Amino acid sequence: MRLVGTNVCSTGWRALLPHVTAGPLQANARCLHAPFARHSRGGAAWRENTRSQASMMVAPSEVELPTELNKIVTLFKAVPDPKLKYQQLLSYANKLPPLPAEEHTEDNKVRGCVSQVWVVPEVREGKVYWRADSDSALTKGLAALLGLAALLVQGLSGCAAEQIARLSPEWITTMGLSQSLTPSRNNGFLNMFMLMQKKALALLVDAGAQAAPASTESGGDAARTSAGNGAAAPAEASTSGPAGGGGGGGGESRTPVRDSMVRKLAERLRPERLEVVDESAQHAGHVGARETDSPSGETHFRVALVSPEFEGLPTIKRHRLVYQALAEELAGPVHALSLDTKAPSDVAKG
Amino acid sequence: MDGRASAPTVPPLRQSCQLTDRTHRAATSPRTRRRARKTAAAVESPAAELSASPAALGAALRGDFPILHQTVNGRPLVYLDNGATSQKPEVVLHALDEYNRRYNSNVHRGVHYLAAKATTAYEEARDKVARLVNARSGREVVFTRNATEGINLVAQSWGNLHLRPGDEVLVSVAEHHSNLVPWQLACQRTGATLRHVPLTPDTQELDMQAFKQMLSSKTKVVALVAVSNMLGCILDTSYVAEEAHRVGARLLLDCCQSVPNMPVDVQAMGADWIVASAHKMSDVLEAMPPFMGGGEMIEHVGLDVSTYAPPPSRFEPGTPPIAEAIGMGAAAEYLGGLGLQAVRAYEEDIGRYLYERLSAVPGVTVYGPPPSRGRAALCSFNVKGLHATDVSTLLDHAGVAVRSGHHCTQPLHAYLGINASARASPYIYNTEEEIDTFIIELEESISFFRDA
Repeated sequence: MRLVGTNVCSTGWRALLPHVTAGPLQANARCLHAPFARHSRGGAAWRENTRSQASMMVAPSEVELPTELNKIVTLFKAVPDPKLKYQQLLSYANKLPPLPAEEHTEDNKVRGCVSQVWVVPEVREGKVYWRADSDSALTKGLAALLGLAALLVQGLSGCAAEQIARLSPEWITTMGLSQSLTPSRNNGFLNMFMLMQKKALALLVDAGAQAAPASTESGGDAARTSAGNGAAAPAEASTSGPAGGGGGGGGESRTPVRDSMVRKLAERLRPERLEVVDESAQHAGHVGARETDSPSGETHFRVALVSPEFEGLPTIKRHRLVYQALAEELAGPVHALSLDTKAPSDVAKG
Repeated sequence: MDGRASAPTVPPLRQSCQLTDRTHRAATSPRTRRRARKTAAAVESPAAELSASPAALGAALRGDFPILHQTVNGRPLVYLDNGATSQKPEVVLHALDEYNRRYNSNVHRGVHYLAAKATTAYEEARDKVARLVNARSGREVVFTRNATEGINLVAQSWGNLHLRPGDEVLVSVAEHHSNLVPWQLACQRTGATLRHVPLTPDTQELDMQAFKQMLSSKTKVVALVAVSNMLGCILDTSYVAEEAHRVGARLLLDCCQSVPNMPVDVQAMGADWIVASAHKMSDVLEAMPPFMGGGEMIEHVGLDVSTYAPPPSRFEPGTPPIAEAIGMGAAAEYLGGLGLQAVRAYEEDIGRYLYERLSAVPGVTVYGPPPSRGRAALCSFNVKGLHATDVSTLLDHAGVAVRSGHHCTQPLHAYLGINASARASPYIYNTEEEIDTFIIELEESISFFRDA
């Protein structure tokens, strides 16, 4: 997923926060390896790390489910006979638009499933629709159900990408379909959910990038220093849409992730000082520096900023603002951030 | 309690097969007749075997296994996943409980009362297992965490020392991953070549003609599955041992699906090592260097270099799985009490019944050889047009436990051209009624998907 420009809503991707803010947040300068890896979702380590940050978490049960989806969940729960549940699941499977054999590709395939499952999203009128196939009828039904859920949440207020990012699969367990469907690390079902989520978001990002005109972004050295840039960037970015769109430069930028980070931090936090340093080379060979996650190789950053938005806030809350601004990057190629967050009064003091 | 057991109709077994080994073999395939005679130090005396009549298996045993008496989704549990793990009889549960309650203690180097008691029980378990498989002594029995560890032990300890570039390791396409991956690793480390015996096209057993052709002076070790956990085919171990030794190769047999199911006489088998749920044996152990290092497996330890204990201790580093070994000893005794001949005879009959009923269901393919060729009781199968996991999910809701997936034999599934299979594997406490229930529910599940 290239993050050259996005249509991310200003409210940010709150559901990603549990993964973003988990991790030791003691020192600003510490390299943070938050459990961005998908498999840690809901894991014990995550829960332990987020103990002290409970107030910041968006608990899955608090995530709003659209009425239609709630109805489906309730219906399944109410049916005592598992066979009837499966019958219903199969009827969802039958309603899926067919997926021809040519689209049964590795890229579309869910890993870690005992059966073979392929999922392909497409965007129509700004919403993501799904086609899927499987050699297992029940798994196809699950894919259909997930696709339907993703479609229904897109009907909620807020933008499609945000709603899809917020969607989590916990409600499936309450439907009583089978104990084998409980989300867990090696679970094929969870992999299916995450692949669908990732593909949908990628598709929406691409759609957004194509929709917005390419604008010239002053990335690179200019962003390293002064206040001047902090003031200038929002003005530039705002011409192309609510959260900025377009590419990282007139041509193809070689540092698209950094460009995007600079732009967002500038917009959201209006810093007096902003420094975004790519430290990925120091982490080459690190498990977080895989090429597939970041085609540009930008995975580890040090960010230092002075912003009036930080005034009066404890460090933890300052970091949270940074993470909110950079949620998309953190969910994607960026594996660690080293943060130095000051308010203007801190600088004045010392 | 299982209501279905109230009127057991265990199929009458051939009484004659109880009398001697030879008679039993006469009733089975020509291949099994080539198996060597049992020695005098066999599992138990012929008299004891006679008294363990086959009618005492099946329904009559269910009282010994508490776990079987439960309902799943409101239906009585029909446990047909013994290929993955079988259940523990009361005597084994008692042995485990006694150990933990009364004399749990670390073994071998303690002088105090509890340690001595634990050590005695642990070493007695070793002897019980040795008796079960007719090993010459308990010294030939090494307890490992699982059979996988056992095979890794041989592949590393023996393999690293003896395999060179140009040497060949001969396995088969049907091996469980535990008897495949360790040899892949050993070949990668040593530069040896891995080769695979194919299946016979018509009966889906290991192809003995191909096996013979693939043997050469380059073959240094042959590692084959004695009873396939997926196909159910039974290896002619005498033939394999003879041919392997003829070319100077060592032989390892994966006996995980045979030791608990039929008489296994390791002296007669002629293998250099057999692996079966934490059990191995042979002289070869004496010449093998350590696999894992640590306490217990040493004699003298210096700062830089140590000397090692003789086998089996050499291969049992650290605190062993003491309770599990003692439990295993109790299980070996329990099986010995039933008589492995009786176990085998029961499995042949219930296995044939399962095979015939399953094959009769329209659209079902059962893998492996037909019962006339000799096979284990387990049956792996597929239903045309349905995925194995869908079928087993529906079966689970009727209380029937089968396994689905690749059963740790991915290459075998690829060889057969399938993605997955379902497997029903009965054992000594399953009954014909349970097979009937399984078939009924299978047919129901098939209709469910066809009508949906």
